[in-house]
Amino acid sequence: MVSPVKMTPSPMPSWRRYAASLAIVAVTTLAAEALFRVTGSTRLSMVFLAGVLVTAFLYGSGPAWLAAGLAFLVYNFYLVEPRFSLSFEAEDAINLTVFLAVAMLTGLLTGRVRDAAKRAEARAHATRVLFDATRDFSASSDETYIRDRLAHHLAAAAGGPSAVEDAARAPGAIPGVSPEAVAVSMTEPTARTATHGGWRLRPLRADGEVWGLAAWAPSADPPPEPQLIEILVDVGAAAISRAHLAAAKSEAETQARTEALRNALLSSISHDLRTPLAAIMASASSLQEYGHAFEEPVRADLAATIQEEAARLDSFVANLLNMTRLEAGQLKVTTSAFSVAEAIERAAERRAAGRFVQLAAPADLPEGLGDAVLFEQAVGNVVENAARYTPAGGAITVTAAVRDGMVRVEVADEGPGVREAELERIFEKFYRSDRTARTPGTGLGLSIARGLLEGMGGRVEALNRTDGGGLRVTLAVPAAA
Amino acid sequence: MSGAPVRLLLVDDEPQIVRALKPALIAAGYAVEAVETGEAALETMAADPCDVVILDLGLPDMDGKQVISRLREWSDAPVIVLSARDLEDEKIAALDLGADDFVNKPVGVGELLARVRASLRGRERRFAAQAVFRSGDLELDFALRRVQILGEEVKLTPREYDLLRTLARHAGRVVTHRQIIAAVWGAGAQVDAQFVRVLVGQLRQKLEAEPSSPRLVLTEPGVGYRLRSDD
Repeated sequence: MVSPVKMTPSPMPSWRRYAASLAIVAVTTLAAEALFRVTGSTRLSMVFLAGVLVTAFLYGSGPAWLAAGLAFLVYNFYLVEPRFSLSFEAEDAINLTVFLAVAMLTGLLTGRVRDAAKRAEARAHATRVLFDATRDFSASSDETYIRDRLAHHLAAAAGGPSAVEDAARAPGAIPGVSPEAVAVSMTEPTARTATHGGWRLRPLRADGEVWGLAAWAPSADPPPEPQLIEILVDVGAAAISRAHLAAAKSEAETQARTEALRNALLSSISHDLRTPLAAIMASASSLQEYGHAFEEPVRADLAATIQEEAARLDSFVANLLNMTRLEAGQLKVTTSAFSVAEAIERAAERRAAGRFVQLAAPADLPEGLGDAVLFEQAVGNVVENAARYTPAGGAITVTAAVRDGMVRVEVADEGPGVREAELERIFEKFYRSDRTARTPGTGLGLSIARGLLEGMGGRVEALNRTDGGGLRVTLAVPAAA
Repeated sequence: MSGAPVRLLLVDDEPQIVRALKPALIAAGYAVEAVETGEAALETMAADPCDVVILDLGLPDMDGKQVISRLREWSDAPVIVLSARDLEDEKIAALDLGADDFVNKPVGVGELLARVRASLRGRERRFAAQAVFRSGDLELDFALRRVQILGEEVKLTPREYDLLRTLARHAGRVVTHRQIIAAVWGAGAQVDAQFVRVLVGQLRQKLEAEPSSPRLVLTEPGVGYRLRSDD
């Protein structure tokens, strides 16, 4: 990025200062004439001396010398007897010497004061430039923005065009400077300013790394302060380095979070897959080794365990598949009218994990419009979630009703409920309330339920129960006409 | 088994696991207590100690490892860790805290019962310092420090002997790298697990008919070793 020239106003050119000194001598002569008319005195050298003093004070040494010479001539010619002729006597020599001495001393003094003022102004300017730049740089952690602002400040400080490029693009980006020269400048072991034609090149070096190249073409008049520009470039490089580090840090943090999430998911999936498998394995091997010794009810119970746990595995696998399809946007929804009452009955039967389920659906409940299999899966997820947080011996209440053209299924549990702030978050993938961190779970069930329902034009919402304890999750599907 | 049946304490919060395991454990002649939480397990062990604890690591109220360390403050009842976790570090931590053995879920009841018997034998062995250990073709005479395979004496270095003796004392149960290091090199020795692997390799060369597919000194990947015991 190349920034255009920005001119700063230059001070008064020198010929004007000399012209001004002439004017001052003229004014002095008029003043002397006036005093001569009033007092008749010709001893008015002090008036001319004052003119020299003023010139030296205002315009420095050169114009002061001119004024001193001129004032001496005018004074000698116009006031010193014989008047209107140049004469040169001892007194004149003293006058001339004093005029010149005053011009020199005052000019020198004024020059010093002026230089000091100029230096103070330059310092203030440098401070202002660096302050503005630093404030700009710290306003953002965005590298592109910082490079952009650096180019802007550089152009302003150099009084000429500037360019700030990254290491890859720098060679060839500076007009009239060969890519080799740019490459050499960037591989210097320390930051150093190189001159190539009208351009100055300086690597953007900070924290031992080269972040690219800054180039500027300083204006000839007035020449910019090279140190100021170098500091500006180095400050910019440090800001770019900081932006880089911030970006790298945030990326590392994101990665660590993803990693933690994946580990939690893996351990949860491992638990959810292995627990039913363990129960199946234990039951089947028990039947194999001790089947003959068991009473009939024990054998039946073990067989039932195998069946129930296999069903649990099946619904878990279905959930994983549905999640994958939802993620990939490949969920196939077959829309038809289906019996909501039957779906919730089956879901409650299969997914309640031994909790008591109280079902209530009016006899005239209209059919729902959607995918019966996916709906049952969604209700099952919600019921399973309810069972997970309802203490053993507690009850889950599942009710169905129709309102505003939607069939609404409410699943209420006797668990701890969730904080108001979490009512939406529990539908986020992998989100688990820290209140229930010890209860195993993937944080997927509710999110999948919502994804499935939304896929068929329905809704899932959660509210805390107002009738004492627990969460109430509502699943709504359009009612069939 | 004579007199009162051996009592097992099954600690698992998954009711279906308890439901599946209990009948077989009872049929094998054990009395079974089942609890769901670590707190209840500790209370049961304090009030009416069971002979063996079968412990799930993922409990709702506390980490299973915590149960082990608290139990070990006053009880030396064998603890078999039963866990779906396949994290090696967890198992090692549990064993180093004083668990006697572990089995991974899912597990057949046959294997679980074998581990229960091994842990009970281990306890008997600790109290009734057996003079001779036999497993398959191996015979180890603790008093004479003599090792025989099929009646032929095998010469072992002192470290190899220490390793074999440690494994034999825990026959049928897993011994962690750290426990082996403590027994062979001394407690607190800074020895890499690599040395244990080398030593086990040497021992296998001398004891196993087929050192590349060991039948006596078995590897528990990432955790340690287990000496096969006649069951």
